[in-house]
Amino acid sequence: MLYSLFHVDKTLMAVPITTILEIVRPSMFYSISGSPEVIDGLINFRGKVVTVINTGLAFGGNKVETTEESRVYIFKKNSELKVADGTGLDSELSPDNIGLHVDNIENVINIEIDELQAVPANMAHPFYKFVVRKGDDFIIILRPAEILNLNKDRDLLS
Amino acid sequence: MTISTEIKFNIYNPVITYEHRAAYDMVLSQLHEIFPICNQGKCKALEVTDDPQKQKQINDLMEKVEFISDSLITITKVFFDQLYRAKESSSQSIAHSMAKITIDMIERNLLERTCDVRWWALEKSFWECVEISNLLNSGAAKKSTVKITPDSAVNSDKKLIESSLANLVTIACTRLEDIRSSYTLYRDLVLVDMSGKVIATANIDRREKLLGFNISEEVWFKEALKTIDGTEYFVQDFSKSKLEENGSLIYSTAIRDKGDEKGEVIGVLGVLFDFQGECQIVLNDSLPKDKNGETLDGWFSFFTNNQGRVICSSDQDFIPPGLVPHVPKSHRTLRNKGDFKFSTAVFCGINCLIVSHKSEGFDDYDGLEWTSHLVLPVASMFERHIENKEFGITPKELMNSHLIPEINRQTFQEIQRNTDKGDIQLISINGIVLATDLGKSGKSFMPIFDQITKTGSSTTGKMELLLSEMSSDMLNQTLKALVNLSKQAIELIDRNLFERAADVRWWSSDFVFCEALKNTETENYDAVSKRLAVINSSYSMYRDLVIVDSNGRIVANSKLENRDKLKGVSVSDQSWFRQGMQISKSVQFGVQDVCNSDLESEKTSLIYSGGILENGQRVGKALGVLGIFFDWEALAHPILEGCVPRIDNNIVEGGASFFTNTDHQIIASTDEEYFTTGNQVAIPTANLTLKEGESTAGMFLANGKKYIIGSTKTKGYREYRGLEWTAHVVRSID
Repeated sequence: MLYSLFHVDKTLMAVPITTILEIVRPSMFYSISGSPEVIDGLINFRGKVVTVINTGLAFGGNKVETTEESRVYIFKKNSELKVADGTGLDSELSPDNIGLHVDNIENVINIEIDELQAVPANMAHPFYKFVVRKGDDFIIILRPAEILNLNKDRDLLS
Repeated sequence: MTISTEIKFNIYNPVITYEHRAAYDMVLSQLHEIFPICNQGKCKALEVTDDPQKQKQINDLMEKVEFISDSLITITKVFFDQLYRAKESSSQSIAHSMAKITIDMIERNLLERTCDVRWWALEKSFWECVEISNLLNSGAAKKSTVKITPDSAVNSDKKLIESSLANLVTIACTRLEDIRSSYTLYRDLVLVDMSGKVIATANIDRREKLLGFNISEEVWFKEALKTIDGTEYFVQDFSKSKLEENGSLIYSTAIRDKGDEKGEVIGVLGVLFDFQGECQIVLNDSLPKDKNGETLDGWFSFFTNNQGRVICSSDQDFIPPGLVPHVPKSHRTLRNKGDFKFSTAVFCGINCLIVSHKSEGFDDYDGLEWTSHLVLPVASMFERHIENKEFGITPKELMNSHLIPEINRQTFQEIQRNTDKGDIQLISINGIVLATDLGKSGKSFMPIFDQITKTGSSTTGKMELLLSEMSSDMLNQTLKALVNLSKQAIELIDRNLFERAADVRWWSSDFVFCEALKNTETENYDAVSKRLAVINSSYSMYRDLVIVDSNGRIVANSKLENRDKLKGVSVSDQSWFRQGMQISKSVQFGVQDVCNSDLESEKTSLIYSGGILENGQRVGKALGVLGIFFDWEALAHPILEGCVPRIDNNIVEGGASFFTNTDHQIIASTDEEYFTTGNQVAIPTANLTLKEGESTAGMFLANGKKYIIGSTKTKGYREYRGLEWTAHVVRSID
């Protein structure tokens, strides 16, 4: 299955291609007063209103700044999901389209199901789903629903 | 980004190298291949899905790809243009500074000549000799018009005068010879009386021919008679004189009654400067040589006068003196001081860059309005530098360094923005997202996006390669330029110090000094101080001049304001004095390397010494020492400033130049903040341990910055051996 790789801080992460609607350059974020800091703002994507989350802040790290290389992942909402892949990732999306602002994106790679390994207990994190070793790199496969579903898990954002 | 509408170096320009043309062709053909692929994609969109939104998404993507390919094609053209422009402008800057330095070097030399001629005219043996010769002339004149005195009386009188004149002529000739041997830059020096008759010369081989020769019609003679006082002089621009077969550059000034600066004019001193010899050295030194020391083909350097005629050239056959050179008229008629011009034209059958720079003069010295020209093959401006010295710098660092002009880096970033890390990547991933969405039918899109990604990264790869090639070229070219500048810095200093060495030797032979030192009982040094003051007023480069007796006590100096401080001070343990006392021949001199001396309030001093020999003879025992305190900073700074690396006349970032002595200590610097005078420098050992006349380039880390450096160790100038100094020219690259 294909995964799109990206960096947040120095960590290499991945999300399944099938969960992505499109990747765009960060344009104007409309900030909303009173929203948590972790939300960069709203963007207009093909007529849809999409909330963009600053992935760096969501992980408690450095804020992702808007640069020449930073990108926004727009994820599908549950109703747009079509393909089931057997990893159980797809079914965990949010009811709305949501964006993730990341430092930069890398290429697309294919990861077989048997390469997916459970996250070691000592680095368990509610956002992490699997760990994959590719050569010398470790790739963390995110659990998109956890980040995207902000309403469910407010205390994670504080 | 603003894309220049005018492409100067398009790919059909003959200066573009074959490799670059091939790279350009490859990039362009790959980019052109994208368009049919996009069309194919658009058709497939209709095939694979009925969803109009999906079809539009695919179409949008394909159009974006087309747009990017199109702009990449334009940027690629601009990129090549900028690459060549950058090389061109860097080569032009370097060529311009070469042309400027050649004329500067000659002008500085000529400035020294004007000081010399004015000072020599005050010499006692010269005015005595001219006085008698004039007397004899007027006696002869009287005799022919009014015949009152009996012939015999006149004859015996005349005989007496004649014999005393013969004596004085011998002395004058000896003194002129002394000058010529102290300063080896002159072909001859001549004394002329009021009637225009040559009465003494410095060149023993030509004496027979020249004595009695009448030059009353020559301009330099007539103009010297018109000078108002001892501060004035005349220079006859390069022209023919009866005195020589070759063209001459003659400096002249009036000899005045009793050597008084304001006295009546009684004769003329003319000095014939070895201009061709000097110019040949300077012109040829500036041109690049092959392994056998021959000047490279197509490189020429020459000077023209204000009529646009050649006065001296590096190749007398191609560019004969006296003729108008084959350069565009505008190059021959530069109006204002410091004007310069670049042109490309065919010169001696080769397409060449011609750089011309009109002399700027120095301070109050205007120069002779000459123009320096440098001609080099256009191809040499763009040639690849094959030899690549290892400096421990990665190509990436080099590409991001200041060596690459900002505009080239921007264009490269623009290309990157479009390709591997930018739009193409985005399109390709979004394409994969779309294709995945379409399921099985979407698979046929995969090769299309693969191709787009490949083209994108191959384009950046090619461009990166070019930029890295350019940065290594720029590095080599810049290092060469730094080495050249360091060569010039040390050469200018050596030439200048040669003059100082000549001055001190000549002045030490002044009769006033040895007379005063001989009569130790009287201790009357007023005349000595006055004499020193006169000398110092003719020259601007000395802080003070002192006379020291054999016990090492300062007995006289030139500047009144320093007199109380210096008089009676013992210098017996100082190196310059000790060297001076050991002198036994008038051709020798002593020098104390730059140091912080108590005798002066300035931070650094450079002191030259000459031995005052018994009876003013050429060989003898030293009675005392003449010490000259040289205004070292005032000399070194303008020279160093002139050799700081520049682009378009602006000093480059972190550019500096400095001299070091044998202890690796900085003795003068243009950057007191980072390269402070008196400090030891931390530059590569290779740059500090050069042999005489050797040059090298290098790279080092200092002040948290990466610097590149060119260094040259002194090789001396004429019989002056130099003080083992090394000149360094640096610039930071990040």
